[in-house]
Amino acid sequence: MNATLYKQMMKVYMKSFTNYALGSAFYIILMFWLYPGIAQNSKAIDDLVKSMPEGVGKAFGLNGFSSAEAFISGEYYGLILVLILAIVCVQLSTQLMARLVDQGSMAYLLSTPTTRGKVAFTQASVLTTGLFLIMAVTTIAGFAGNAWFLGDEYEFDTSTFIQMNAAAFLLFFAVGGISFLVSSLSNDEKKALSISGLITFGFYSLDLLGKLSEKIDWVRNLSLFSLYTPGEIVNGNANLGTASIILSAIGLLSFSLAILLFRKRDLPL
Amino acid sequence: MLTVEHLTKKFSNGKGIFDVSFSVKEGEVFGFLGPNGAGKSTTIRHIMGFMKPDNGYVNINGLDTWREQGKVQRFVGYLPGEIAFFEGMTGRTFLDFMANMQGVKDLSKRASLIDRLQFDVHTPIRKMSKGMKQKVGIVAAFMHDPNVIILDEPTSGLDPLMQKVFIELVLEEKARGKTFLMSSHSFPEIERTCDRAAIIKDGVIIAVKDIHELQSMQRKLFEVTFESNTDAKSFINSGLLIESHEGTRVRVAIQGNYDKFVEETAKYRVRNIDIFTQNLEDIFMNYYERKGMIS
Repeated sequence: MNATLYKQMMKVYMKSFTNYALGSAFYIILMFWLYPGIAQNSKAIDDLVKSMPEGVGKAFGLNGFSSAEAFISGEYYGLILVLILAIVCVQLSTQLMARLVDQGSMAYLLSTPTTRGKVAFTQASVLTTGLFLIMAVTTIAGFAGNAWFLGDEYEFDTSTFIQMNAAAFLLFFAVGGISFLVSSLSNDEKKALSISGLITFGFYSLDLLGKLSEKIDWVRNLSLFSLYTPGEIVNGNANLGTASIILSAIGLLSFSLAILLFRKRDLPL
Repeated sequence: MLTVEHLTKKFSNGKGIFDVSFSVKEGEVFGFLGPNGAGKSTTIRHIMGFMKPDNGYVNINGLDTWREQGKVQRFVGYLPGEIAFFEGMTGRTFLDFMANMQGVKDLSKRASLIDRLQFDVHTPIRKMSKGMKQKVGIVAAFMHDPNVIILDEPTSGLDPLMQKVFIELVLEEKARGKTFLMSSHSFPEIERTCDRAAIIKDGVIIAVKDIHELQSMQRKLFEVTFESNTDAKSFINSGLLIESHEGTRVRVAIQGNYDKFVEETAKYRVRNIDIFTQNLEDIFMNYYERKGMIS
C-alpha cells in the first residue's frame, strides 16, 4: 500500500464515487417514499404480478409488496443497484490499471521508489473503497428513508436490510476483482473495458435468462450473480453464509492474482 | 554505475533487442543513438525494470533492475520518451504528487528548475504544449537529485533556447558527478553533452565509441555555390566525394577531411555554403554499410 498514491487516487475518483453514491441514495429514498402508497394497494399489485408470466416476475425480482424490504429488494436491489455497481466496477477497474498502462502514466509511478505490487494493491484498495462507500451511503440512506417515510407504521426488518447490502457489496467485490484482473493484464484500455464489460454483463444476462425460464435454469449456475439473491434474503431462504464465502473467495483470489501477475508481466511503457 | 549485459528480448513479431551490452561509468554522460524503431526505448524499458529480459540483465549501482524494482528507483531519475501524465492535474499538483512519491522533502531544487525552464506550473496539464509537458517531465526527473538520470529523447519538443538551457543543466549535473544515459535519434544533440555513445540498429549495438571518434566518423553534406560554372567544374575534379552537381551548385560529402575541403574551396570564389542536416543513417552511412557487409 502506498499512502501517497491512495490519497491522490481517492482525490481523483472521490467525485465519481460521490455522484454514484448520491444517485443510489436518492433512488433508494425515492423507493421508500413510494412504498406507503403502494402498500395500501399491495393486494392489487400482487395480483397484477401474478397475472404476468411466472418467469418475468422472478427475473426482475418482483417479490411481493407486503414489506418495505421486500418491495425494495425487488425494485432496487434486484436491478438498478446492480446496474450502477456493475458500471462502477467495469469502468473504475479499467481506469485504475489498464488506462495508466495504455496512456503511459504508469511509467511515472514505477519510476519512483515503490513496487509494482504496492501500486496494484493500492489501486485495488481504491476500487474496494469506492464500492464500500457507495454501499455504505446506500445503506445509510435506506435507514434514513425508513425513519423519514415509514416510521413505525410499516414493517421493516433492519437485519435483512443489512444482509442485503452486505450481499450486494460482496457480489461486486467479486465482480470488481475479476474486472481488476482483466485490467491488470491489459495494455489496451478499450480492450480491458470491453472484456470486463462482456464478462460482467454476460454473467448478469445468464442469471436473468436462467430466471426467465425453468427449462434453462441451469445457466444460472454459470453466473456469479446467482449467488446474490436479495429476494431470497428477504424471504429468509437464502444460503447467505455459503454465498458470502464463495464471493469473498473469488474476490480475494482475483485481486491477489491481479497483483501477482502485474508484478511479473512486461509493460510497454 | 550502470551495466547492461547480454540483454536480449525477442518480441513475437521477430523484432527486439539482441545481446545488447554496454556500461556507463560514474559521472559519465552516455549517449544512446539509433534511428526510430532500432530498440532504444526497449533497452530503456529494461533499464527501468518495466520488462523482463529473455536473457541478460541490467544493473544500476549493483542492483538488478528487474528483480530489485522499487529499490533502484531511489537513486534514478527518469524522463519517458512519450510523456503521459495523470488526468485532471496541473503541473504543480503533478510535481507535488511526484515529490511525495519520491519522498522528496527539500523542494528548493525543484523551485530552481522551474525557474530555469520558465513555465507556468499552474497550467492544467491537458492544456500544455508538448514542449511544456517535456519541461514538467524534466523537472520530475531531476528534482529528487538522483545519481543516475535516464532520459529518453529529452529535447524533443523543446525550442532551441530551452535545448540550450537543458544542455547546461546536464553539464552542471555531470560536473556534480551525476551519471546520465540519454537516448536520441539526433547526433548533434548527443554530440554536445556526451562523453561516449552507443549506436544501435535493428536491435543490435553496432558501435560503442568515444564521442570524438564518432565525430570523425560522421559524414557531413555541404552545398557550395561558386561564382562561375567553370569554378564548379574544376572543383569537382579536386578528389573530394561529390554527391551532386548542378550549374554553380556542388554538393559534397565530407568525413573527417575538413582541411582538404577548406583548402579546395578556398581556391575559388564562393557565393554560399550550406550545411545539410541528415538523419542518423546518412551521418554514419559508411559505418552502417561496413558493419552490414561484415555481418
